[in-house]
Amino acid sequence: MDQPIDIADCLQRWKKGDENAAAELVRHLYPFVSKIARTHLPRRDHEEDLIQEILMKTFSRLHQYKGDAPLSHWVSRLALTTCLDRLRAQKVRPEIRWADLSPEDQDVFDASRLEGSASDASGAIQARDLVDKILSTLPPEDRSLILMIDLEGKSMQEISIATGWGLSKIKMRLFRIRTQLRKTMQNLKERL
Amino acid sequence: MNMKEDEKWQSLLLASAPTFAGETVLPYGFLTSTLARLQEEQKTQEQLEKIGLRALFASLVVLAITAAVTLDLQFQNKRDFEPGIRSLIQVENIQVS
Repeated sequence: MDQPIDIADCLQRWKKGDENAAAELVRHLYPFVSKIARTHLPRRDHEEDLIQEILMKTFSRLHQYKGDAPLSHWVSRLALTTCLDRLRAQKVRPEIRWADLSPEDQDVFDASRLEGSASDASGAIQARDLVDKILSTLPPEDRSLILMIDLEGKSMQEISIATGWGLSKIKMRLFRIRTQLRKTMQNLKERL
Repeated sequence: MNMKEDEKWQSLLLASAPTFAGETVLPYGFLTSTLARLQEEQKTQEQLEKIGLRALFASLVVLAITAAVTLDLQFQNKRDFEPGIRSLIQVENIQVS
């Protein structure tokens, strides 16, 4: 969303059937939607398909957008809901153990330290694979919530706006997620 | 103990962070395929709307015809006398206007 465009004008033109306006909106929304999709993308799902599905939903519901909040807020909620719907279709693993990890995952787990982020792209991909496996033990909403907090650094207020969940619900979920994650990490550390 | 697990988790997340960053440039062919899909969905929606409107119009016509027939029959029935009264009229040859 680095190129500023006149959203209101684009929407007006789109309603009149101007295809250039649709193209401008797609270009404008793409980086933003891509980031959400990549963060909350279910494993083995095609990112491009998911982004296209989110954009299709956006366009089919644009008439519902009142303009009282920024378009990005409205689209982010739609994107998150779409990702969660896809995530719900995946089975949640009851737990993950050392034996479930590939040798590469095991190396990444042993090598990871707080100060040491992966220096190269392949290391990042390996780390992502392991993170995805750990996240697969969480229900979809919990998975998205922990990423919004720990990865995106969103505040609870922002998450509340993005998801529509109350603050107490978010706090309770977060406590439960942290407990679950600690248990998983503990199991892996002890080679269980 | 807990802190160590939390740190390990944060460390893994930090290491994988670049893979979560979104693309800023549209992939090749993405815009064309998205617009084509959008156009297709709009066409389908328009066709469905047309079919819906036609179905609505057809049911309104059927409803109007049914109402007209019902009212007509009811009106005819109102002019009819009961069989007993009809035979009395015939016997007495009463003029009914």
